[in-house]
Amino acid sequence: MVKNTKERMPSMVDYSERGDMEMLKLNEIPVRTSKNFDINNIELEEHNILNNIEQFKNITITEENCKIENNTSNIELVYGLGKILTNQVKMQANQKLKLTIDNKQYKENQIEFKFDSNNVNLVEDIEIIANQNSESTVIIKYLSDENVQAYHNGILRVNAKKNSKIDIIIFNMMNIKSNNFIAIQNIGEEDSKVNFIIIDFGGNKSVTNYYSNLIGEKSNNTINTIYLGKENQIFDLNYIVELKGEKSNTNIEVQGALKDVAKKHFKGTIDFKKGCKKSTGNENESCMLLSDTARSISLPMLLCSEEEVEGNHSNSAGKIGEKELFYIMSRGFEIKDAMKLMVKAKFNKILENIKDEELKEQILNEIDNRLS
Amino acid sequence: MEIQEINRNIYDIKNKDEYDYKIKKGLTHEIIEEISKQKKDPEWMREFRLKALDVYNKLELPTWGPDLSELNMEEIATYVRPKTGLSNSWEDVPEDIKSTFDKLGIPEAEKTSLAGVGAQYDSEVVYHSMKEELIKQGVIYTDMETAVREYPELVKTHFMKCVPVNDHKFVALHGAVWSGGSFVYVPKGVKVDIPLQSYFRLNSPESGQFEHTLIIVDEEASLHFIEGCSAPKYNKVNLHAGCVELYVKDNAYLRYSTIENWSKNMLNLNTKKAIVGKNAKMEWVSGSFGSKISMLYPMSILNGDGAKTEYTGISFAGGGQNLDNGFKVIHNSANTSSVVNAKSISKNGGKCTYRGLVRINENAKNSKSSVSCESLMLDDVSISDTIPTNDIRTDEVEFSHEAKIGKISEKTIFYLMSRGLSEEDAKAMIVRGFASPIAKELPVEYAVEMNNLINLELDQP
Amino acid sequence: MTKDLLEIKDLYVKAEEKEILKGINIKIRKGEIHVIMGPNGSGKTTTANAILNNPSYKKTQGKIIFEEQDITNIKTDEIARKGIFMSFQLPEEIPGVSVTNFLKYAKNKVTGKPIKIFEFKGELKKYMEELNMNPKNIERSLNVGFSGGEKKKNEILQMLVLNPKLAILDETDSGLDVDAIKTVSKGIEMFKNENNAVLIITHNTKILHSLKVDYVHVLVNGKIVKTGTQELAKEIEEKGYGQYK
Repeated sequence: MVKNTKERMPSMVDYSERGDMEMLKLNEIPVRTSKNFDINNIELEEHNILNNIEQFKNITITEENCKIENNTSNIELVYGLGKILTNQVKMQANQKLKLTIDNKQYKENQIEFKFDSNNVNLVEDIEIIANQNSESTVIIKYLSDENVQAYHNGILRVNAKKNSKIDIIIFNMMNIKSNNFIAIQNIGEEDSKVNFIIIDFGGNKSVTNYYSNLIGEKSNNTINTIYLGKENQIFDLNYIVELKGEKSNTNIEVQGALKDVAKKHFKGTIDFKKGCKKSTGNENESCMLLSDTARSISLPMLLCSEEEVEGNHSNSAGKIGEKELFYIMSRGFEIKDAMKLMVKAKFNKILENIKDEELKEQILNEIDNRLS
Repeated sequence: MEIQEINRNIYDIKNKDEYDYKIKKGLTHEIIEEISKQKKDPEWMREFRLKALDVYNKLELPTWGPDLSELNMEEIATYVRPKTGLSNSWEDVPEDIKSTFDKLGIPEAEKTSLAGVGAQYDSEVVYHSMKEELIKQGVIYTDMETAVREYPELVKTHFMKCVPVNDHKFVALHGAVWSGGSFVYVPKGVKVDIPLQSYFRLNSPESGQFEHTLIIVDEEASLHFIEGCSAPKYNKVNLHAGCVELYVKDNAYLRYSTIENWSKNMLNLNTKKAIVGKNAKMEWVSGSFGSKISMLYPMSILNGDGAKTEYTGISFAGGGQNLDNGFKVIHNSANTSSVVNAKSISKNGGKCTYRGLVRINENAKNSKSSVSCESLMLDDVSISDTIPTNDIRTDEVEFSHEAKIGKISEKTIFYLMSRGLSEEDAKAMIVRGFASPIAKELPVEYAVEMNNLINLELDQP
Repeated sequence: MTKDLLEIKDLYVKAEEKEILKGINIKIRKGEIHVIMGPNGSGKTTTANAILNNPSYKKTQGKIIFEEQDITNIKTDEIARKGIFMSFQLPEEIPGVSVTNFLKYAKNKVTGKPIKIFEFKGELKKYMEELNMNPKNIERSLNVGFSGGEKKKNEILQMLVLNPKLAILDETDSGLDVDAIKTVSKGIEMFKNENNAVLIITHNTKILHSLKVDYVHVLVNGKIVKTGTQELAKEIEEKGYGQYK
């Protein structure tokens, strides 16, 4: 058995000139806890940092009235995944996109990255500026060919200005040989509404850092995540939401399912900072264990240094209810199909937030594929 | 609801610093040898202490949790022995010690027919008594030093087996310098139906306290053990690194209740663990008040099929306090269950942290665990953090965790004020109500004491 | 001695920066039952909260006089101790504090006298029987897990036990079935005598079927638009508030 969070990561290219391999410590939680709990960070042993990243060309952008530039502002991350990966994006990004969404009209934009034998490594930097009073949706998809062993290291920065509303959907459909690293940072100004939906399916390791800084009064940030793990996939999700403005609100909902020897670490922190009076924060995480060797670790943190707030979290894990399963099977479903149905039913709470029917269909199909 | 006013002073009485022996301040092999000699340790214990010292010197301070940098081990005299030896009856206890105990209610407890009183004064047990029928039933209740001498086999097979010496730095320290504490053995099938209690306190400047509690409840036996602590105030940093080891054998039952009320300059780094056997049940009831820093995470290891554990705890942090408490449980066997109910109150800039662990291992099929944490913030300068780790390694489990942080709502205060309660009374009533699930689990005199402590804490400006 | 109990003089009240009451006047004498009726949002609950000086409601003008004393700006608990009781529309839940302990404590605060447990329990038992309450409820935590009806009955129980000079019942009848409303009316009848008074605040007229009242005030948009007798309630039952808008 692999020892807890220390995982061996296959090297992608031989970088003998680099000398030693890096041991990567990623995704540190904001407040450490006992080392023995295996949750302070994720350690990837012998991880090679590419120092030569070729081009990544397989990108499709569908935009409506959105200004897109191939240059971004300087990267400043409060958290990020760790110095090495952040620096890689700073120095070596092979895709840079800046989306500026201006006020009034509703807009939907989609960016699709597809990994194949000619486009193996993607190091990208995306910046989204949702200007005052704007309303928009941005969908970012990561797809990969069956056989490519892809590498993705990305940073996504969002700045939601006053009274803007933005839905961001990230759909990671990479294969399970690849690795996926992504660091997201959101700044929410007064009266902004930022809704993230993260569909996290791909990657042998899929490591996400999400940091949201709700500085404005009545800023709102919801995060809805579903993950689905199989074989030896490992998910490491580290979400941190800091509430600073008065009457701000956050809602984190994470639903997942794990089969085979898949493993997930979920670290969700809601931090009520001084000044966020009358704010609320809710976090709910639930994991369906589809095998007796899957493993779910979670650390739902509530940090509070302000008095007039309401913070709640709940966390549960277990297998699909035998009764429900029996009921569905009594209607003629095979166990596998019954399970799929249950998983999809559980995920529906999150999926129903997706208005794009085509995308929803694609996600549901992907769930079927991955559970087969 | 009766509110009994008590004066904080009774918890702060200092006795004249009388001791006949105090060791040098540092911590070396020589010192450990000296302690061992003084204790008249058998050879195995002497070796054990020296080994523990080596482990202590190797281990680092924890890299998480409260800042312990103010701690300077070199300055803490680790061993203080009061003038009196062991006494069998109340009459033999020296007057000044007796008067302190009087104010702490020890003889009262005796009068109310509690089974036995083992009170630790500084590092030694000075007073001990036990009902005869318990002796007849074969129950052993004595101080730890006596147990080492008189029940070597029982002690040897259990001493620091539940809490291994390399668990963390302060356990290793404890292993090297431990002194005093209680030993209880309840033989197979014996049900002790009145609670056993021990009352210990620190009473010397710069002295650490390293008492060791070892309780073995043999198969089908049952026991309720109560440990209470309060300590007077001193200016220098005080360290408490006790160790509690509880063995609950197959089909046995143990409830361990404690209210810790250390003085506000104490660093309380206590380690408590229980190993729970087949169909046995371990219950923890814990109130954590006082102390400057507390790192206290009682733990149940559910080793037997069908083992159960429950934890009910409350922490109250006032100004300058950092209470980092919680509960840990490891499910190692099938059909095990755990229920955790933790509450905390922060006030005047105090900080409460719930830090816990639930681990359900691969072979713990059909196990259940539910954890609930509730925190109350009494003002906007205090801090309340919840840091629970939930590690689920198998699918046939029912696991749930819930946590809430909030303040007392203005509406609730208005409601109570409309019934004639002043704002302070209203708040106190809500806080006592909040704490009542814990108070309910305590024997009545302890519940009263806890309510008094809450009132005292609420009254602090 | 005067029979005047409560007088509200030209009262203006703001809640969350919005002006809710715009100059109301009411006079209540001992022995009377008054009703304030009005559509949702007219300021009924604000009136009750303003009398008890709830800090969330700000008085910008006017006075409240109780037994010849100005109570406009004194603390809620003092007002309660002077003999004003309010039955809440949404009674608060207090976990860990039993109904008995709470009432014992509150009664002690209101009367300023020690409570004789035996007598007190007897009194409690008697009232609970009259109000058709489950005797087990008195050991439960105050209002925690109580149904809507149980909470309302519990408010009436508190009124009987604390025996105020003026009882303000804020929507005590709302959301109750016919039987429960009868029980509440019965409680009011038990309470009522010539030395005290009741102010009922309601948006419907159901409770007035089983209770005789002296005055009905119609409150619309922060002002009392009409005052009459029980007849006025009947009129509103038939025609609604439309005519006053």
